[in-house]
Amino acid sequence: MRIAPPTLTRQNLLCGAGLGLIFLTAPFPRLQFVVHAVLVLALAPRPGAPLAAALWALAAGWALEGSLRLYPHLGGTAWADMTVTLVAGWMAGRWPLEDLKGWLARLFPLCLLHTLLVHGAVRLATNPHPWGWSWFWTLLTVPAWGWLTWRLLHAGPALGRR
Amino acid sequence: MVVRAAKWGWSRAGLQRLVLVLLWLGHGIWVFLGPNPVRHWTHLADALSRPSQTLASRWAGWRASRREAGRTLSDIRADNARLTAELSQLKTMDAQQAPRLAEADEAVRLLGLKRQIPLELASARVIFTTRPATFGGLILDRGQDAGLVPDQGVIVPEGIVGRLWSVTGTQSKILPADAPNASVAVMLMRSRATGVLQGLGSGRALIRYVSNQEVVQVGEAVLTSGLDRVFSRGLLVGYVAEVTKGDLELRVIVNLAAPLDRLSAVLLLPPQPPLEVQPPFFVPDQKPQRKRGVT
Repeated sequence: MRIAPPTLTRQNLLCGAGLGLIFLTAPFPRLQFVVHAVLVLALAPRPGAPLAAALWALAAGWALEGSLRLYPHLGGTAWADMTVTLVAGWMAGRWPLEDLKGWLARLFPLCLLHTLLVHGAVRLATNPHPWGWSWFWTLLTVPAWGWLTWRLLHAGPALGRR
Repeated sequence: MVVRAAKWGWSRAGLQRLVLVLLWLGHGIWVFLGPNPVRHWTHLADALSRPSQTLASRWAGWRASRREAGRTLSDIRADNARLTAELSQLKTMDAQQAPRLAEADEAVRLLGLKRQIPLELASARVIFTTRPATFGGLILDRGQDAGLVPDQGVIVPEGIVGRLWSVTGTQSKILPADAPNASVAVMLMRSRATGVLQGLGSGRALIRYVSNQEVVQVGEAVLTSGLDRVFSRGLLVGYVAEVTKGDLELRVIVNLAAPLDRLSAVLLLPPQPPLEVQPPFFVPDQKPQRKRGVT
């Protein structure tokens, strides 16, 4: 049984809340990266609206780098986020969701791809830098925020425009 | 058949896709260019020109090393030529200084002998030798002008040379001890037997009037006895080279100690010197004694 995508309003509201959380968790970079990954991988992708998803991903990337104020040249994370979000939206349209397991199974490789792409883009935009441990916490907490986003996006009543 | 004009324009989805592509490409270019956009071009140019730069640097290094090697070789050759010239010059100077150096050494040796004999000795240079000729001798550069008289004894550090035979105004002639007409009163060192030395030529002489009863050993030193009043007692004459018994006396052949053919300076004893000459008494240097209890 295919799961219908969430309403556009709910998804935009959730994306807005995620973007706000990115700013609010600025003092905690690891948590901030996890929230940013949730927004990019789970909340923003939408099969029929790639432009909106790309804009939300761009906002997430710029918000993360802007609050970090760490890199000499910004934009690498945003570009990687946009690319991964588009890939995730395409996957959602190509292979519609059926249950929570499929959702989690999709998030793990997307999470890995996101990590590699972010690191590569930032390395390309600035210079070689250490990996850090944010990717590890993101990957480790995939079941938690995967379940949470599943509940927020797909488990509620489907209202509004689909 | 009705031909309709094609509809030109963008649909909403097409515009969205265009915006999306432009956004993605623009952002990617922005990321790719980075903080210093020129660096990519410079990196590419560096990568392309690296082989030629490597070759050029190696070529320049090879030329520099070759130039350095050539310069070093020319420097070494110039130094070699200069040192060769200096060496030849020093050899020439050494050859020029050698006679003076030998003369100086001889003068030092004569001075040492002069200090050992407490007599007023005169010195003279040998300016010519006629020894190879019959009744030849040595010509000195001093004569009556230096107060020389005939029959003065002539010595060198190695031993006696002979006596003055004839004295002119500025020169004098030595009758060497190995001349056939020369005679010197001598004695043997061990047996103290006395005799008369007569020359045999070529640095050899014969002691006559030594009794058959005397025991003379080859290698025994022969000294002047002082009885001829030409030489004082105890001056070295030579060493016994050969001893043969005759009917009445021993035939003792002596090799003279003085190198008569290689003399450049001599000392002259005063006329009729004293028979015995005591060597000067030198007080040895007293070493400072260490006081007891003082370390």
